[in-house]
Amino acid sequence: MNWKNVLLLISVDIKAGRLIRGQRLRRYRESRVFQYLLYGGACLLGVLIGLAAGLFYSGVPDPNVKTLFYEGCRYLFLSFPTLILIFNLVFTMMSQIQRMGVKSSIQPPYWLPITWEEHTLASTLANLIGIPLAFLILSSSAIAIVSIYLEQVPLAALTVFALLASAFLASTTTEIFRVLQVRLVGAVYKSTGKAAVWVRFLGTMLFLVVFYVVWFAFTSGTGSIALIEAVAGAQQVVWFVPYVWLRMVLAAFVSGLPAQTVIFSLASLLFILILFYVAVRLNARFGLYELPAITVSRRVYAPKIGFLGRLGFSSLEAAVIRKDLKAFTRRRELMYVFVMPLVFILMPLMQYLGIYGRPVPLEDSRFLFALMLLIPGAMMAVMMGLMIIGEEGESVWHFFSSPVTARSLVKCKYALIIIFSCVATLICGVIGILIARPSLDIAVALFIESVLLIFALGAVSLGAGITGADFTEIPRPKMVRPLTAFVYMLLCLVLALAILSPLVPYAITMMNLSVLVSLPRIDLYVAVSISVVIALVITFVFYKIALKNAEEFLMKAEI
Amino acid sequence: MISSNGSALKLRGVSKRYEDIVAVDNIDLNVEHGEILGLLGPNGSGKTTTLKIVLGLVKPDSGSVNVLGIEATNDPIAVKKQVGYVPESPRLYEFLTGLEYLDFIGDIYGVALSEKQTRIKEYLEALELEGREGDMISSYSEGMKQKIALISAFLHKPKLLLLDEPLSGLDPRSARIVKDLLQKLTSQGVTTIMSTHILEIAQAMCDRIAIMYEGRLLALGNMEELRQKARLPGSDLEDIFLKLTGTDDIREVVEALLK
Repeated sequence: MNWKNVLLLISVDIKAGRLIRGQRLRRYRESRVFQYLLYGGACLLGVLIGLAAGLFYSGVPDPNVKTLFYEGCRYLFLSFPTLILIFNLVFTMMSQIQRMGVKSSIQPPYWLPITWEEHTLASTLANLIGIPLAFLILSSSAIAIVSIYLEQVPLAALTVFALLASAFLASTTTEIFRVLQVRLVGAVYKSTGKAAVWVRFLGTMLFLVVFYVVWFAFTSGTGSIALIEAVAGAQQVVWFVPYVWLRMVLAAFVSGLPAQTVIFSLASLLFILILFYVAVRLNARFGLYELPAITVSRRVYAPKIGFLGRLGFSSLEAAVIRKDLKAFTRRRELMYVFVMPLVFILMPLMQYLGIYGRPVPLEDSRFLFALMLLIPGAMMAVMMGLMIIGEEGESVWHFFSSPVTARSLVKCKYALIIIFSCVATLICGVIGILIARPSLDIAVALFIESVLLIFALGAVSLGAGITGADFTEIPRPKMVRPLTAFVYMLLCLVLALAILSPLVPYAITMMNLSVLVSLPRIDLYVAVSISVVIALVITFVFYKIALKNAEEFLMKAEI
Repeated sequence: MISSNGSALKLRGVSKRYEDIVAVDNIDLNVEHGEILGLLGPNGSGKTTTLKIVLGLVKPDSGSVNVLGIEATNDPIAVKKQVGYVPESPRLYEFLTGLEYLDFIGDIYGVALSEKQTRIKEYLEALELEGREGDMISSYSEGMKQKIALISAFLHKPKLLLLDEPLSGLDPRSARIVKDLLQKLTSQGVTTIMSTHILEIAQAMCDRIAIMYEGRLLALGNMEELRQKARLPGSDLEDIFLKLTGTDDIREVVEALLK
């Protein structure tokens, strides 16, 4: 193993971050201070947390509280390796999912004299650069400092070592998952033939939805506490699973069992080595695997005007809409827009069914219905609007070199946002009606409000998506500048509240909520009518802004 | 409005600067209808930027661009309708199949349905892409992508072709087809401006050759005029090019590398 090669490969991966951060300087000078600020900050925060906890421990006069705190810390030390493992697994997998669309140009150059061991080790360690490493530093420094006050330095040292091993274990597992996923996908493409496009779409959606539902369930409020309790409680039971052996090392050490400590330490080390060996072998076998071609159609080519043409779209506009429809169902990085609405359907549905604990009472399900109807479509409109120009990436030259006018560009992109978002709202609405069984009045009013939000926020975000478009594709498509996205998301939130504001008095009356000021009683349809006027004004103004932005965008074309 | 006589392209005092680099330096150029003009020059000499300026993909800092009788800045859409463009390394929509991509391009330029169907079929057959047209472009080789890019430039029967390294990555048969096709289109009045590094192709295909260096137009003319300018009678384009661009120190460079 040439360690210099490993370090060089990791540094290449770190430097890919320059592109993510949008650095476009010709003569690039990296600020080392800025580069290590995240880790320095994490270390400082960890030290402060450790100091605060330590000072609290030494300052507590009550011996019972002291003992409770002491035991609590030891309990947490024991759970930390598994928690770090889960955190890193989720984080590195998320990063891999984002990188699925990454161009091959940042892959290590296979033609250079680099061994698979070096490549795999570099890739595994590089996965941990950034937030996982910062979190690791934060936890380790906090543990180290607090252990001085608890007089548990040997346990803390062992815990920190276990944390590092856990992070590496998680990253190696992700590396194996990444290689297997590529090979598996290839096999699926081959076996499914023409249906491969849809298999890929549905497979990706299923994976992302399950992943996010689990993630949100665990990270939302009581979910995270439940996770810690589950981790701590279940580990003794599943001691035979190698992933909890690092925790078993600490448990044996705390219980004063030196033989078990050594056995589990050696077993953990062996498991990590085996896992790493598997990752190396898989990389060697499938690392250069090229996905087979997806044949979409073998039909005889017979162009026709089509549905969009009959709706009044010109051939140019219809062509762009059709192209984007295919983009959103064939490009993994764009499939994200479907995931959030789906999660918004599934989360309340699972709460309603009591999967996360106590089932939701019926009166609350009305509120869930309102959320299910209003949020997914609007959210989809905002997300699509922000990314729909930037998703063109470097292929944007097609718009600059072909006779596409600003009017056509805005019309077809806006139409696609409306179509997708309205379909999402319709699906959410139907599921919501089946769950909450709202009155006809409320269902109709909420459907209207949802469509109003889609039209208004779609126009707002499209205008922002044009001015804030970012066509960077390597190492991952950026689509929109983060600051633009953030500012316009806030604006969309404010405008959405403005559109929904006429319904607030009605909602308060209906849900028997007590408020400090007395609000006027308002008929539902009057409230909806006022809302329609507000939404139409917003839509009109921001559509005009989007048109102006598109004119400037096409005029200032520079590629 | 497109004028039927006069030059197909007129550049007057066109300049473009990127920070401290002058990409194009005060270029004057006239290209006649039905002419094939070759743009030659070392890497970074401004060939690609010049082509992009003609199409409006890059705005010049100064000067005027008249394409087919239209001031490019006044009516860019009218210009784009008449131009077929192949970029240096075309980024196509890789999630589309070859057929879907060409159908998309045909619709963008408003080619009639039956015409589009016939032309796409003919081009796919001629460039031996039949059988792969239903596959996603992401699975195509670079040469196949180049063929798709070329077809998309020809599909709407443009009056001006801007081709940046058009034969790059093509197999000999396809390269020959494209060369013959360009000659035929020239006889029909189509103007072609192509940048290339393959000097033999430029010498064989182009009516006139423009040699660019550091953003400037060093020489412009047919082979005889270039020989006179370089004072190299009877020599081929390679010698002329190396002499005019001041890069004829090849022997010394090679010897230094071999040390």
